[in-house]
Amino acid sequence: MEIKKITRLSILLSLSIVLSIVESLIPIFNGIIPGLKIGLANIAIMIALYAYGIKEAVFVSIARIFIVGILRTGLFNITFFFSISGAIFSLIAMFIFKKIKIFSIIGVSIIGSIFHTIGQILIAILFVKNANILYYLPVLILFAVPTGLLIGYISKKSLTNFLEKK
Amino acid sequence: MKRVLKLILILLFITGCSNSKVDSHNFFYMDTYINVKIYDAENTDSIFKEVDKIYKEYHELADRYHEYEGLKNVYYLKNNDSTDEIIKLDSKLCNMIKLGLDYNKKTNGSFNINMSNILDVWKNYREKGEGIPTLEELNEAKNKINPIILNDKCELSNNHPSIDLGAIAKGYATEKVGEYLRENKVNKFIINAGGNVLVGDHYNNDKFKIGLEKPDQTKEIYKVLKLNNKSVVTSGGYERFYTYEGKNYHHIIDYNTMYPANYFKSVTIITKDSGLADTLSTCLFLMPIEEGKKLIKDLEVDVIWYTVDDKVVTTEGIKNYE
Amino acid sequence: MNKNDKLLIVFLVPILLIILLLFKLTSVKSNKVANVYYENQVILTIDLSGEEQDYNVKGYNGNVKIKAGNGKIKVVEETSEKHLCSKQGYIKESYETIVCLPNKIVIKITSNNDLDATL
Repeated sequence: MEIKKITRLSILLSLSIVLSIVESLIPIFNGIIPGLKIGLANIAIMIALYAYGIKEAVFVSIARIFIVGILRTGLFNITFFFSISGAIFSLIAMFIFKKIKIFSIIGVSIIGSIFHTIGQILIAILFVKNANILYYLPVLILFAVPTGLLIGYISKKSLTNFLEKK
Repeated sequence: MKRVLKLILILLFITGCSNSKVDSHNFFYMDTYINVKIYDAENTDSIFKEVDKIYKEYHELADRYHEYEGLKNVYYLKNNDSTDEIIKLDSKLCNMIKLGLDYNKKTNGSFNINMSNILDVWKNYREKGEGIPTLEELNEAKNKINPIILNDKCELSNNHPSIDLGAIAKGYATEKVGEYLRENKVNKFIINAGGNVLVGDHYNNDKFKIGLEKPDQTKEIYKVLKLNNKSVVTSGGYERFYTYEGKNYHHIIDYNTMYPANYFKSVTIITKDSGLADTLSTCLFLMPIEEGKKLIKDLEVDVIWYTVDDKVVTTEGIKNYE
Repeated sequence: MNKNDKLLIVFLVPILLIILLLFKLTSVKSNKVANVYYENQVILTIDLSGEEQDYNVKGYNGNVKIKAGNGKIKVVEETSEKHLCSKQGYIKESYETIVCLPNKIVIKITSNNDLDATL
């Protein structure tokens, strides 16, 4: 791997970590609907996905979860598995939809956001062993649409800058 | 004249439509939330206060984990260090023990209120959630049990018996609450003490509808009973149990085998007296249907057996409640 | 944003809104009871028609204090890091759920089918 790429991925990784921490400090949605997040860290992952590819996106995403886990929320607890499962679901979905090229980066971001929610709900169901949580899904998906849109839009803007300097 | 008639009609309409007033209160005794609803009653505060007193008293008498100042309760009977050879029992506690001893005889020993040692062995395993006690362990616990020796004057030999009134006290106390309510002209009521229901007259001259849930995790209603002035009690192994090596072990233990009885998933009793209903629901849980039928043949009792292979068997009289 | 992106949004949002509207319309109006689950077991059923009262149940991390009555229910106190479920406040509709994830407690409102009691 060339040094430039390593540096750029490290920058993306640090960016995603900082964004996670920033987001956890502004709990605007906290309490309205549990589990609701904007997912700012996804900006870095979207950039990695579009500037490089799925492998790099997986690296940034998973490394971010581990590092945030070590720094703040702890490893291998519920929050951790929550993040992992959401990340895996959204990465797979974004990879597929990016491949079939029917949506732009914004559409892919919305899809990623929705599947992030689905992954988290599924792990929650496994954890509390109670499928009643499924009732949450429509509301959460409804909120995933605008947040996905927002993240997609920011990613699109940043990506142009990122690629220009590449 | 027309106006008067109109007025009367309106008044009739209003009174005919008015819903009865309901007051509801919850209590927490004997490890359960107990909901008491009374209809069209006055002085509800003082009534609920008295109901609380009754439940509290029975709760304390049957409590085998705590002592209460000046109260000779089940804990005291087991753990006291008094040198007295006999203990004069409170008449309420005495009557519950007598009921228990009576059904101990009638079930050929399967139902036994003198086995808290054995229950504790099972409880330890249940809380750990794995393993089952060996026969030696259970026998060891059984050998430490001293017999209940009680005379007609409610005098008990102070030999520290291992009494557990878990199968009696809740129903017994509920029956006493029902008696209290009726004595105070509160005839319309429903008491739900977790698996233990007692109903009085219905609030709209109708019948109370009691749903019976399937004794599994679906909790679907498989039968609705319509009744007044009756008690319905269900005993089942589906509420407190643990799974070990693919088998479920619940909390209703047969004294003769010292293992959980395995005929039914649940047994539901319908009869007037809630204390009797509570006791019988455990007794019948411990014996095959035919023996159960013999036990109740001289009593005004109806039964719904829900067998381990999911068959529902009922006595003839159940059709009166459908 | 391309045409398909817009179609995705135009398609998805109304569908979700319709689902939520259906939830709202089919929501239980009377005879409301709240089921409190630990994992998939109902550990407590509360009749919500009565006056408001406190209840305590055992969650994975310890005691979970619940306030229920007058048609609504909320979690008052529980042991967890973020206290999401006690911050959520009251729920009163049958499509709402309270999830105390760390405590494995789920609260859901349903109808008791005109039954006076179940057992």
